[in-house]
Amino acid sequence: MNEAEEISSKQKQASIGEFFEKNKHFLGFDTQQRAVITAVKEAVDNSLDACEEARILPDIRVELRRTKSDEIEMTSQDNGPGIPRDSIEGVFGKFLLGSRFHAIRQTRGQQGIGITGVVMYSQLTTGAKTRVVSKVKSDSSAVFVDLGIDTKKNKAMKSSEKRDIWIDERTGEEISHGLRITTVMKAKYQRGKKSVYQYLRMTSIVNPHASISLVVMDKEGEIIEEGNWVRTSNKLPRVVEEIKPHPHGIHLGTLQRMLRESTDRRMTSFLKHNFSGVSSRAAKEILGIADIEEGRTPKRIKPEEAKAMITAFQTVKLLKPPMDCLSPIEDLLIKKGLSKAIDSRFASTVTRDPAVSQGNPFQIEVGLVFGGDLSSEGPIEILRFANRVPLMYQQGGCLLTKALEAVNWKSYGLEQPGGSGIPKGPAAVLVHLASTNVQFTSEAKEAVSYNEEVFDEVRKAMLEVGRGLKNHLKKSSERKKAKEKFELVNIILPEISKKSSELLGREEPDLAPVITQIMNAVFLEEELSWNKESRLSMCSVTIHNYTARARAYTILAKWPEGEGTSMEFNPRGGRKEAKGLWAWRLDTLDPGSSTVLEFGISGLSKGDWNETDIFFRGNGEIIGATRMDESLLDEQRKAEALEAAVDEVRRSSAPSEAIRERPAEVFEPSASTDWFGMEGDGQ
Amino acid sequence: MSEAPRKNRKQVVEALHEVAAEMHNRMQRGEPPKMTLPVRSKTNISFDNKLGVFKYGKNKTVRDATKLGSARQLLRTLHITEFIEEMIDSEKSSTLREMYYISEGWGNGKFGSQNESNNLAEDLEIVTKCLREDFKLRPEEDGARIIGNITVEERNRRGEWMRINCRDDVGDSGYGVPYNVEEEKLRLVDEDIDFVMAIETGGMFDRLIENGFDEEARCALIHLKGQPARSTRRIIRRISDEWKKPVVVFADCDPWSFRIYASIAYGAIKTAHISEYLATKEATYLGITADDILAYDLPSDELTKQDIGALEAELSDPRFNTGWWQEQIKLMQELGKKAEQQSLAKYGLDFVTDTYLPEKLDTIGIGY
Repeated sequence: MNEAEEISSKQKQASIGEFFEKNKHFLGFDTQQRAVITAVKEAVDNSLDACEEARILPDIRVELRRTKSDEIEMTSQDNGPGIPRDSIEGVFGKFLLGSRFHAIRQTRGQQGIGITGVVMYSQLTTGAKTRVVSKVKSDSSAVFVDLGIDTKKNKAMKSSEKRDIWIDERTGEEISHGLRITTVMKAKYQRGKKSVYQYLRMTSIVNPHASISLVVMDKEGEIIEEGNWVRTSNKLPRVVEEIKPHPHGIHLGTLQRMLRESTDRRMTSFLKHNFSGVSSRAAKEILGIADIEEGRTPKRIKPEEAKAMITAFQTVKLLKPPMDCLSPIEDLLIKKGLSKAIDSRFASTVTRDPAVSQGNPFQIEVGLVFGGDLSSEGPIEILRFANRVPLMYQQGGCLLTKALEAVNWKSYGLEQPGGSGIPKGPAAVLVHLASTNVQFTSEAKEAVSYNEEVFDEVRKAMLEVGRGLKNHLKKSSERKKAKEKFELVNIILPEISKKSSELLGREEPDLAPVITQIMNAVFLEEELSWNKESRLSMCSVTIHNYTARARAYTILAKWPEGEGTSMEFNPRGGRKEAKGLWAWRLDTLDPGSSTVLEFGISGLSKGDWNETDIFFRGNGEIIGATRMDESLLDEQRKAEALEAAVDEVRRSSAPSEAIRERPAEVFEPSASTDWFGMEGDGQ
Repeated sequence: MSEAPRKNRKQVVEALHEVAAEMHNRMQRGEPPKMTLPVRSKTNISFDNKLGVFKYGKNKTVRDATKLGSARQLLRTLHITEFIEEMIDSEKSSTLREMYYISEGWGNGKFGSQNESNNLAEDLEIVTKCLREDFKLRPEEDGARIIGNITVEERNRRGEWMRINCRDDVGDSGYGVPYNVEEEKLRLVDEDIDFVMAIETGGMFDRLIENGFDEEARCALIHLKGQPARSTRRIIRRISDEWKKPVVVFADCDPWSFRIYASIAYGAIKTAHISEYLATKEATYLGITADDILAYDLPSDELTKQDIGALEAELSDPRFNTGWWQEQIKLMQELGKKAEQQSLAKYGLDFVTDTYLPEKLDTIGIGY
């Protein structure tokens, strides 16, 4: 028996409508302002999930139009795979209360009531049917159908169904695949921090591969708000693998259910087949500690024995769960996503390595943008996300916020009145928690609940981007100083010399010794640019010796070394010092002379690389570069050597592991698609 | 002493060239060019016992080309020098504002703001010991208006001397003081007055004229138009020196009015290099004083944040370091109030001329 049946049997007499009414606060329909956000969220999340699964770059259009003073018509259209005719009722009409506790992976749908809730809300508040247009690529025509919900039977009722060619209203062209939902509901449109606009803006940030647009109209059809966020990346998020639950995160209820439904004949195979991280040896050990015979049938395990198993799970040493069930946005795409919505001067991003808490893999990503159009008044903007879904409510009670507040931002260059709390300044911070099991403070699923491991990871990520910011600020101020000095000696001083000589009718003096005296340092300036013809990200480093002595240096530059990038243009040669760090030994620089070091990186797009670090070895300081910390470099080299060795071992032991391919543009909703998203442990 | 020392064209150019030469010489020695100036702030003005006014002290500031901002200033100074030389050669003059716009064509020597060009012109006055007039630079600020029974001769634009009686030959707006009030332009010819009253606001100036105060009290009224221009301060000084008439200042009761008085009586901080020609040490502050607010129960306004800051700054301004001023400033801080000249209208339009001024003048020994 699945949970939906469980619930419906418990509430035999109570209609599903009453259930909805009772629980609307955590379903996201408690206020009219929030209802429209929730409705858009369900529609857009489904579109993004469907496109991702079908490997389609999403184009999503949302249109809101006020029909009465407290009614809004929502239309949401995507270019996803569409839903086959026979699945429409299942997707829109049934309360599928997540029956897929065997399969764990990161999806957006985990976090909402599902599209059925929208259909239900619309029907309950306005009596209106939801109009659906669905086109599957393999069909010759689209399905047009109106949907309502029979609350007694808990199923969808179709009406006015027909098949026709679907013409896009905007382009006038036939649509080959996609889905459109139109529904009328009691709702009010609200602008500001908690609005559909903000929800879509945030969604577009963490989905740089999606193009999303919004049009909001009043009763007369006048546009009162609109947004258009165009995709900045053509890279779809990686396909996430489903994983089995890890024993460390399992609760008694779930375990009992799994035992009950198991078709395994022996307990050892039950453990090995249904959990991740459990080897044969571990399975035997667990059963030994729990005092359960290995050959017992899972169905027959008693509650006390299951309890003993839970205890045993915590004592036996287990492998970590696999991490490919997570889909981080990744550094570069966070940068692109942020740049899509926020105009800033600087972005520092970090994707932490995946970690595990109570058997659940999770991963933290943080992006910080600074400067540009951002307002320097008031607290910074915090953009919270769980599994790529924006969290818009309960900011103060959220772990992600609390971890940010715990950082001493002052030391990273942001104002923080009182030394703690949300910092002030022209910055915005994005924090993304990707996890197979996001724990929220309440069913409203708007604030992540406290968890030491997650808190610690977020804090560490914040420190990392904080360091990036500090470095950036220091560099900008150094760069500004250097720039001023250059202007001084190269432009102003020669003019002073010329003008005073003219006035007095004298010869112009030799300025070289004057310049040396004014500068009295070695200056370094780097400039990153994009070469359109060669499609290379160029870095040009200019070093001026404005001292009275000859100088010799080794210059080291950071570059984004990785899969797909290479140092394509490098006339000076040099050598690799560590991953992402290249070194060039320069000829002796005579007093008053300068030299330019250039290299170009292939495999990046325009704007991908806009900040680097330059280090040096040699006597005397260089303004604009940092002295190489040799001990840090040694550490990095050692870590890399270790990693390489581990990789080597892994490669030789598991040669057959292939990347799972997915067929493109075929989408079949299945029982495992978590439309209702209410799954979780301990319900 | 009152006679401002004027230099001839050759002397002016020579003085300017010295500034350029200091820069050039240093560059020839392999050193960054520089210019040395007195510090122009209240921390560096002190009372000159001999002259009886406030002058710049010994603190010097060096403007050298080791920083971009200073280097730019030096370059601008050279451009101004060149510009002045050109004007001297072609017998032209320009306003400070015109010079600011002309600097648009100076490339890297262009001024960032007019304040900057005004300051640099003053800097040049200081280091060359020349006057702005020697540089052929004019202010665009309005000079004062005068009404009263005094007669002056002004050389008009055709080069003829015009005789003007500031009571009989002028309209209601009075005699407009030109920007240059030196001997070559303006002569003080005749008078039949007992004293001079300098008035801060136009409203009060017009009130006194309407009430016929200049004739009744036998005085010349001078409208200061807020912070008085150099020429205004200079003409007050000349009247005081040449006709030996007492000068009283009638202003609002607020910290900014105190500064107006100080610039007339003690010398302004910005022009401390020529205080001995501009300041009239005999000038008396008539009112409105902080005492008056209490004594006459005048309608008053709360001090603003800026007012409070200005009062605080005045406490440490050496020019206000007298028992009387310290008392007035502290009293004002205590009251937390300020009052306008025109608040006297509380008691009717004639109160100022019938009651207030006679009473106040009596306390300083000017009766009529």
